[in-house]
Amino acid sequence: MLKPFRKVPVLNTASLLLVENEEQLQTRLADIIVQNEKDVNITVRLARKLPLPEENQDSRPRIDLIVFIVNLRSERSLQSAEQSVKYLDPGFFLGKVCFVVTGARCLSGSSNRLLTARKLAASLHCPLLFAEDQTNEGVITVAVRLLGILKVAAGLVPLTTGLYLNSLSHCMIPSDLEQNLD
Amino acid sequence: MKRTFQCIIYSVCIGKYIPSMGDVARTLLQRTLRKIPTVKLEETLKKWAHLSRRQQQSVNYTQSKWILHENIVSLCEENGLTTRHVSELEMIYCMENPNLGTWRACHLTDADEDATSVELLSFKEQFKSHLAELIRNVSIKIKKHDNGSVWIRIAWGDNFSKPNHFKPTYVVHDLQTPYVFISNLKSKHKPLLYQGLVLATKHGSIKDAHLSGRSLHAVRDLLMGHYQQSFPTNHLRPLQERNPPITHPNIEKEHKEHAEKRLQVAYEAFGEGDIPKLETATYTLETRFRGGGGMDTLSDGEKPFRTVVQFASTSLLESLRHCVSSGIAEAPVSPLLSSITQKGRNYFVITDKADKGHNATTQNSRAKV
Repeated sequence: MLKPFRKVPVLNTASLLLVENEEQLQTRLADIIVQNEKDVNITVRLARKLPLPEENQDSRPRIDLIVFIVNLRSERSLQSAEQSVKYLDPGFFLGKVCFVVTGARCLSGSSNRLLTARKLAASLHCPLLFAEDQTNEGVITVAVRLLGILKVAAGLVPLTTGLYLNSLSHCMIPSDLEQNLD
Repeated sequence: MKRTFQCIIYSVCIGKYIPSMGDVARTLLQRTLRKIPTVKLEETLKKWAHLSRRQQQSVNYTQSKWILHENIVSLCEENGLTTRHVSELEMIYCMENPNLGTWRACHLTDADEDATSVELLSFKEQFKSHLAELIRNVSIKIKKHDNGSVWIRIAWGDNFSKPNHFKPTYVVHDLQTPYVFISNLKSKHKPLLYQGLVLATKHGSIKDAHLSGRSLHAVRDLLMGHYQQSFPTNHLRPLQERNPPITHPNIEKEHKEHAEKRLQVAYEAFGEGDIPKLETATYTLETRFRGGGGMDTLSDGEKPFRTVVQFASTSLLESLRHCVSSGIAEAPVSPLLSSITQKGRNYFVITDKADKGHNATTQNSRAKV
């Protein structure tokens, strides 16, 4: 079980965990985030799913933000994210978890998955971002947004905390959409 | 330049005679020319060496394909070439580019004592004479490839018809190895070809190796193990050797060791680097149905539930290796899949092991050779 406050934060550092079943978008995001940020020392950890291996417990820094990357083109991606979410301590869901969804553009069979992903994010009160992973600009855009959320979650932005940001930007399903589902 | 006038036809309207190629030869030539891409045409014609140098130089390769081919056909007609010569051209092209559909591998067994001393000339004579005894009207051509293997082109006829040159069988054999690769063989000619091969190579019998694929090189490499195989060791190879280096020291992978182990298992089962390109793997199951789930009609206890499972891909071994290394398939690799590379075959028949007790829970099966 990953616990959010077990370790002491380090000055001017932020740490991000990217969880993705396919392991493709996460490497590109990691490269961009780490290379473009000069002021803050950012470490990125890449994983396929949770739980994380016990051996790394000591060397792992305190995780400020966990991002689940779900590819809507594959059923397995969503299932893996749903399974992984169970291994997080509830303390994470107060502003330290975020969902990124790719492939929402293709409608073949993905509309159900999109709804499932939105329901998952809504039930956990986490923000849901859409990403375009086929183009460079798309990846850079997502990286910039994640960087923004990460800085807030790590407490590097004055007058804001992760919880404030979360309450503004968490995913909601409007009630008419829910009724359509039933 | 040899000029052999094979047939002289009197042209009815004009009254003079021109040496003619014959319909079969001309059609065969046109079909062969169409198969050869223009970039390779010049060197293939040079290797063929049945057109004089002057004639070869007179061919303009920048013309449109149709005109170019007509040009070459007329040059061949000038030289009075026959089916025999044209089939040689086809064979030369096929030897360099063996895209002839599916190649099947066969295994020669029960070698005689002097089987290892069979060399090209005796093989040629023996094969031609044995096959000619077995069936009339066959046209056989044997050539040696630069890499040492022997290629045989066979056009089959029967007692009443001439050899059909449009659907020849190609056979590739490396002398001193027990493997033969065959493409385009009809089942009625199979026993004849097998007999000829067995006698010419001084072996006792020949059997199907249950391996087929579209690429001759892939089938041969798989059977003879000419790919980079990986063997289990007790050493842990340093991670840098295999994985691409992580780009930045701040980025770290959580499941690094697991990924490395999976990769190692995948390499052991299927080989490293470039592996032979197979298209399918077929498993014929003759086992009893053991699933639960209330399918009463299917789990009829005693009778085998016949199924055929086929895996297909543009490069099957590559995709299986990726499945294992990315974690989609569970490690350790099922012996049914790793037998493809370990035994060098891609057609399996799975039957039940005869269980002595009523052990319904364990799944026993073995692959029948």
